[in-house]
Amino acid sequence: MSDKKIGDDAENLPWLGRKLLWVDNPANVKRVFQVLILICIGLFFSDFIYARHGKFEFEQYWGFYGAFGFIAFCIVIFGAKALRTLIKRDEDYYAPHVVDTEEYPDSGLDKASYKDD
Amino acid sequence: MSVELSLILTLLIPLLAAWANMIFRNHENLRDGATFIASIVLFGVVVNLLRQHAASPDISVELLSVMPGLSITLSAEPLGLLFATIASGLWIITHIFGVGYMRGNNEDHHTRFFTSFSLAIFATMGIAFSANMFTLFIFYELLTISTYPLVAHKQTMDAKKGARTYLGILMGTSIGFLLVAIIWTWHLTGTLDFVKGGILEGKIEGPLVAILLALYVFGIGKAAIMPFHRWLPAAMVAPTPVSALLHAVAVVKAGVFTMLKVGIYIFGIDFLSTTGASEWLIWLASASILIASLIAMTKDNLKARLAYSTISQLSYITLGMALATSMGALGGGMHIAMHAMGKITLFMCAGSIYVATHKTKVSEMTGLGRVMPFTFAAFLIGSLSIIGLPPLGGSWGKWLLIVGAADAGQQVAIAVLMISSLLNVAYLLPIVGKGFFLANPEPKPAAIGAAISPKSKIAEAPLLVVLPPVLTAIGCLLLFFYAGHIQEFLMPIVTSGK
Amino acid sequence: MIDAFPPAFIFLIVATLLPLIPGGSVRATIMLLVPVASFWLIWNAPTGMDAQFEFFGFTLTLMRVDKLSVIFGLIFSVAAFLSSLYAFKVHDRVQQSATLFYAGSAIGAVFAGDLISLFFFWEGTAIASVFLIWARGTEGAYHTGMRYLIVQIGSGVILIAGVGLLYQQTGSIAFDKMVLESLGTWLIFLAFGIKCAFPLLHNWLQDSYPAATVTGTVVLSAFTTKLAIYALARGFPGTEILIYIGAVMTIFPIFFAEIENDLRRVLAYSLNNQLGFMVVGIGIGTPMALNGTAAHAFAHILYKALLFMSVGAVLHRTGTSKASELGGLYKTMPLTMIFCVVGAASISAFPLFSGFVSKSLILDASATTGHWIVWLVLVFASAGVLSHSGIKIPFFTFFAHDSGKRPKEAPTHMLLAMGLTAFLCVAIGVYPAMLYSLLPFDVEYHPYTASHVISQLQLLFFALLAFGVLMRAGVYPPELRAINLDFDWTYRRLLPKIIGTVSAVASTIWAAIIGFAMRRINNIISGLYRTHGPEGPIAKVWPTGSMVLWIAMLLAATLLVSFIDLM
Repeated sequence: MSDKKIGDDAENLPWLGRKLLWVDNPANVKRVFQVLILICIGLFFSDFIYARHGKFEFEQYWGFYGAFGFIAFCIVIFGAKALRTLIKRDEDYYAPHVVDTEEYPDSGLDKASYKDD
Repeated sequence: MSVELSLILTLLIPLLAAWANMIFRNHENLRDGATFIASIVLFGVVVNLLRQHAASPDISVELLSVMPGLSITLSAEPLGLLFATIASGLWIITHIFGVGYMRGNNEDHHTRFFTSFSLAIFATMGIAFSANMFTLFIFYELLTISTYPLVAHKQTMDAKKGARTYLGILMGTSIGFLLVAIIWTWHLTGTLDFVKGGILEGKIEGPLVAILLALYVFGIGKAAIMPFHRWLPAAMVAPTPVSALLHAVAVVKAGVFTMLKVGIYIFGIDFLSTTGASEWLIWLASASILIASLIAMTKDNLKARLAYSTISQLSYITLGMALATSMGALGGGMHIAMHAMGKITLFMCAGSIYVATHKTKVSEMTGLGRVMPFTFAAFLIGSLSIIGLPPLGGSWGKWLLIVGAADAGQQVAIAVLMISSLLNVAYLLPIVGKGFFLANPEPKPAAIGAAISPKSKIAEAPLLVVLPPVLTAIGCLLLFFYAGHIQEFLMPIVTSGK
Repeated sequence: MIDAFPPAFIFLIVATLLPLIPGGSVRATIMLLVPVASFWLIWNAPTGMDAQFEFFGFTLTLMRVDKLSVIFGLIFSVAAFLSSLYAFKVHDRVQQSATLFYAGSAIGAVFAGDLISLFFFWEGTAIASVFLIWARGTEGAYHTGMRYLIVQIGSGVILIAGVGLLYQQTGSIAFDKMVLESLGTWLIFLAFGIKCAFPLLHNWLQDSYPAATVTGTVVLSAFTTKLAIYALARGFPGTEILIYIGAVMTIFPIFFAEIENDLRRVLAYSLNNQLGFMVVGIGIGTPMALNGTAAHAFAHILYKALLFMSVGAVLHRTGTSKASELGGLYKTMPLTMIFCVVGAASISAFPLFSGFVSKSLILDASATTGHWIVWLVLVFASAGVLSHSGIKIPFFTFFAHDSGKRPKEAPTHMLLAMGLTAFLCVAIGVYPAMLYSLLPFDVEYHPYTASHVISQLQLLFFALLAFGVLMRAGVYPPELRAINLDFDWTYRRLLPKIIGTVSAVASTIWAAIIGFAMRRINNIISGLYRTHGPEGPIAKVWPTGSMVLWIAMLLAATLLVSFIDLM
């Protein structure tokens, strides 16, 4: 009974895990995304309702932080993707036995599946 | 006990030990016991000399006068006392180890072995306490001859070949260069005495200083400066106790000791510094340090690796002299003690591994650390001391050398010392790392990366073999804390001029 | 008279004796007590120079107690406690002893008042820590450990060389503020820089942390680099070049972290990026900035340990820490997931979490001093942190696609360690006054202003939005089983190739020279045989034979000498 799939019958999971199962549902993921959009809209408009004080002039532009965050994240992702095309190699690139290819020795672990008891 | 008597005793005791060895040739325990007692008494005498030194520093004993101004004379000065203390102290430990090793390995010709050993110590004491270059030369040659049977001990073709290289290079360089240098010096100055501040100043100038120095440097083959280093790896055919005491301590240190004596008492640090005659030697010693370390990395035989490590470390001391600064010379002197303690530990560990498992190759020692934890722990400590890491003695020697190099404005030498430390890490610590943390490949592990079984049985070598390296490893630790005293003690050799 | 007993000694003494104690749990319990004692000692240590010894002609100071050393000493003690708790079930004597040696050396270094004692402890951290890597017991870990050791000891020898040069120049070994104007200080700077993982000197970090044991990495993450931060803050505050080094450090690891598969290596890159913030703070060097560095180091040690603990717990249960092999673990490891999210929120500097109250000091200092480009870089890096540590780590481990793995929840002692650490992360975030009171300088600073909170939330939530958009658009880089080249390529690939080529050429030439010389020598020897008769054992004949030659040469040399003398 080593790796019996138990994920789907909910009553086997710990309480907290069971409470979170809704994230597996694509419809709920979509809902989370929509909430995120709403929060962002709210944050954007909050710029108009309080006295902002920044050290630099450009900080004062409306939506500066939001735009910066969004663009920065995109730059990171696309930059990383571009970088990957240049530097990706197989795990045994340097040598056949490196930590990337080796299994972690079992004696240092306590591997256990949820229903192993 | 008077200083004169003590000085004579330092020569007499090892001779007596050699004689007792022959008398008791058929009584194993009596013979080894007698040598053991002799070694302890010798150490006591040397320590006594050490203690009396402050009160009466300038006492010498003339044993034989060949002609006016040329005599066999003994005297005690700090550097010699330090050398004699180390050699005699480690003789006790090596003797214990040697007895365990020779018996544990069922080697033959014990009597010849221990007799030659005692004679080698006799010669070493002579070198340490010689008051002039002539005396030193005589004992220097005696040391070569007395160790020859030890190198050839196994009497195999390999052993004979190694011994021949040993004798050939050491004799050849000493007669071909050293004797010439001594005669030349005699010719120039009319004396061969060791005098603070040197005897050559004003007697020789220009490029001839560098040439005379070269004759000395290459003449002192025991310092194993490249390219006259081949004898040392060749001598590794000897049983491990010989490699441990003689080829990590007595013989090689006699070489660098002579080097320091020549630098300090024949040329004089200031003279070397003002003439710049030793500048070339800095480069040669640096090259020797690095090349020998690189070769050591390629050696799979543990003793060969240690031998090349020794060649590299000996050049530290030569470098210290060549820097021609007082800190450099002090560092050289200090390193004699620190390296001796560290390297003898490593050799005895190698011997211990050999006694327990008959393994000589580094590649075969994977996983052995868990089986022989004490030996490998001692090896780790010895290695760290050789590398020059705290809290072990080796770090002070290196520190003084760095400061000495900085005083001399020799940044290249500092870089060499730094790189050399890393090379030491690269060739010494894999033995510990693989020994402790990789599984022994013999019972093939089931999967790649299967870990060491936590309860491998401990199977150390016999106690007489394991104890000595553990003791010297502790010695490395103690030297760290007593380094200040050693420095203070050595200070007179570089201060107060003539 | 010693008023302040050096806490490092407790660690070192116990570490030495620990292997002799039978019973793994007893040892593990002792390991918990040592940091508590150390914390107490540091807390009560009187300010000033103490525990001074005359040694080797120097005055060594083992206890330089001021606010800068105290805050690092305290957080190191806390880290030692938490990681020992996390490793409570590791009963391997080597790892246990190494952990104490390592933590003790780090604490010793922090209180070292002179450069020589600093060097001692500096090398102590290098040697002790490698055992936590080697303890994994695989060939890969062994090789990684050797590389790590050479870099770390290399840092130490550069340090001592620098100290030697500085001492020769100034006659002092005091460890105080230095100016980069001589080779000596540059070497010291470089030594600190190696341990601090400056750009191009950083690869030992990403190489070794994924290779250590589960618990070893947690220990490693706390000490070495933060010791370097302390040393820089002590030795080189206000050194302008650090601002730019730090800025580069915050940027480049982000890209590598984003495409790295091994989550512990992702965290190592992220660690590197966080160090960048602290280095910028040191470079600015104003009281506000240095406070920021100290506060950020304090907070960072906790949340980084928490992240390494949670990924470690996953590794402990599943045997892998690769993003490509994980996913969906929230179902059976929900507590670990929550702790991981707390760590992620802290490192991303969400309000109410520790990163928010510490990082903003550095950002504020950079803005106040008018470094607007650096400020922009740091804000950019803050968004980047969110991408790999804030999102990638928890998302790909516990959510994303279901890997089908259903590991058990982490064992109790690990949960306890994570829970405590998570509590501290939140406590610092909610009540920063406690942390601020420990900072080296008295500075009035209020992180929770409406402006600050809202602008930070805007930054983070729009970045999250970008993640959502890119994820749904399917352009987010997938997790792949692969490695990425980094600067270590130069010494793992290029250098061996160069050495191989050079040594092949050199050995060929050498063999030719030796062969030639041997033939010559053999000719001479056989010539001697012919003159002296071929009979008799070889071993006796040739030394005697050559002796004659030498004596002939000797006479010639003597003649020559006399001749020179006559001129």
